[in-house]
Amino acid sequence: MIVTRMGDGSFIKMSEEEVKADIEAGVEDAVKRGKIEPLTAAEIDYLVDICCRPQKFVSVQQGNELILTYDSGTLKITRLGIPIGMPQIMQIYERAFAADTLELAYVHYSFKPIKMIVPEEQYAVAETSLVTTAPLFYGAMPNLPLYTQPDGPCPNAAELLPAGKIAEARAAQEEAVEYAVKDMVFVGSGVYEAGADGIDFDTTAAAGDAEFQATLLACEQLRAKYPDMAIEIGMAGEFVLGFHGQLEYDGVRLAGLYPHQQVKLAEKAGASIFGAVVNTNSSRTFPWNLGRAVTFCKACVEAAKIPVHANVGMGVGAVPLVMTPPIDCVSRASTAMAEVGKLDGL
Amino acid sequence: MTETNDLLKKVIESVIGGDEAAAEALARQALEQKMDPLQVINEGYVVGIKQVGDLFECGELFLPELIQAAEAVKKATELLNSAITGGAESSKGKVLIATVEGDIHDIGKAIVVSLLVANGFNVLDLGRDVPTLDIIAKAEEFKADVIGTSALLTTTMVKQKELEETLVKEGLKSKYKTIVGGAPVTVRWAEKIGADAYAENAGEGVNKIIKLISGS
Amino acid sequence: MALTHMHASGMGGIRTAGDLVARMQMSKKMRLNEAKAYVAGKLKISVADLSDEVIMNEVRQDLDIATVYGGMGEQSRGIEAKFRIAKLLDLEINSVSRFLRKTEWR
Repeated sequence: MIVTRMGDGSFIKMSEEEVKADIEAGVEDAVKRGKIEPLTAAEIDYLVDICCRPQKFVSVQQGNELILTYDSGTLKITRLGIPIGMPQIMQIYERAFAADTLELAYVHYSFKPIKMIVPEEQYAVAETSLVTTAPLFYGAMPNLPLYTQPDGPCPNAAELLPAGKIAEARAAQEEAVEYAVKDMVFVGSGVYEAGADGIDFDTTAAAGDAEFQATLLACEQLRAKYPDMAIEIGMAGEFVLGFHGQLEYDGVRLAGLYPHQQVKLAEKAGASIFGAVVNTNSSRTFPWNLGRAVTFCKACVEAAKIPVHANVGMGVGAVPLVMTPPIDCVSRASTAMAEVGKLDGL
Repeated sequence: MTETNDLLKKVIESVIGGDEAAAEALARQALEQKMDPLQVINEGYVVGIKQVGDLFECGELFLPELIQAAEAVKKATELLNSAITGGAESSKGKVLIATVEGDIHDIGKAIVVSLLVANGFNVLDLGRDVPTLDIIAKAEEFKADVIGTSALLTTTMVKQKELEETLVKEGLKSKYKTIVGGAPVTVRWAEKIGADAYAENAGEGVNKIIKLISGS
Repeated sequence: MALTHMHASGMGGIRTAGDLVARMQMSKKMRLNEAKAYVAGKLKISVADLSDEVIMNEVRQDLDIATVYGGMGEQSRGIEAKFRIAKLLDLEINSVSRFLRKTEWR
């Protein structure tokens, strides 16, 4: 029997046939939802092999390595209660964690609160850029709900919609988009002027199509302002929720887009890297989640002209949704994304 | 028979199209034609809203369209319910719903609320970041049948456990059925904390609540 | 999580050529294989060597573009190494360009 896990991290035992059946079901779910091509039989067999190897840790073959970008790098250390400064955390990532890229982030990981402390963040960026060699991102979340009541000035669509106030809910989201774009461009400009190589918009579209539109518009404005700036648009999930339902970018309705469609708009907006995200279903098995996530990501890679980095962290990219993601699943997901998904990075 | 089928087909189309005026006009027409209001609700409006739910689940329809459809069903079924002999209870049950304390995610909850209302439940939405004791106090006041809580963070799902423990401590557990949901929440978690049900998504939430209330 | 990915599929950052390949993705939107080929060409080594710690440590020392062990020697590190990387890869590096503008004699 193969020992694997559920999406919530709990152990389960499955036969090899059951593992294969679950991978195929995950692939099928991605195909049905995204209307994309399935993995080939050989690719599915390789995923079965990855899942069924008895070793705790699995890795890529030599030569198949890819680039790793770590979102919210500094937070990963401060979250552990280790009281050290941001430049030092970045040095640890560079020299001890072998990170290919670095990412500075403020503990209130959203553009709106950062707007008020941009000068302080500029210090951190400038100091870090002096003592590190690897490319440096500054990252934050667009977090559109912070612009809605009770946290912001705009009415809350999540309250208006269930009350049947559709036009009001849509208008509120459109108003929030304007505020969010301003903040993203302001913060993005500030950290770039301080010496960062680029900006990472993390968990984009967590609040749906309006948030995706805001991020694309901010990306477009930053690209026009700084032609050499690196801009990563990392998503929040595989599907853009139609919380507004009618918003478009470049003539394309944003609601309902899947990664292979999202990446085309990121390209159009001027992004340098697209971060594809597929959420882990905590009630399904790791093989099911892996088959599904790799299928979505592979389709995205094939559609893209820019590098695609899949998010393979807690609760995404087939990794179980637990605070301490197990190494057996993370290493398998990492390997599968590189060798079957053919990602440019994670 | 054909006339009935035609009308039911139109009812379903009006719901999928979110056409409030048409849905209401068809309800009136059904009453004028002396059709059985319960049959029109169950074979027309309920079928329509189920199809809307399926289309929403597949990503073919979006939240505002779901709400429009729900509004259309609500108005039309109110008319039909009022015509049912003896004034049958229009609500399928009372559901109190909230996002737990410390958690400000309310988009998923908004979808659940909309689907519940569309399916004929009387819903009290307490919003987000709601302390456990407030949930219980409001449930008492509202005389809820079901308490549904949402938690989107691994750090806030413990509040669902706190709710179960407090209900037991206060001797109120048998009074309510509880259902939990949210991205980090699983069947295993629901069983571990003693919740009566777990729902993976909004559609499943409605089905599970129907089962909880009917006792099946 | 970072360490697991690094061991499972990562290029290796400044232990190898990961930072250099990443720069080509970020600055020139190069896909992975194109970026690897570009960097290997500039470093005059094979693509396979890019992920090899032993070879890349020597290459980085020879080119003076920083390794994980800065030591007490003459090796460039931090922004010093980035000056050299910008020239080596024929790239504009934001922090380097700003440093140059600020240190220009006026």
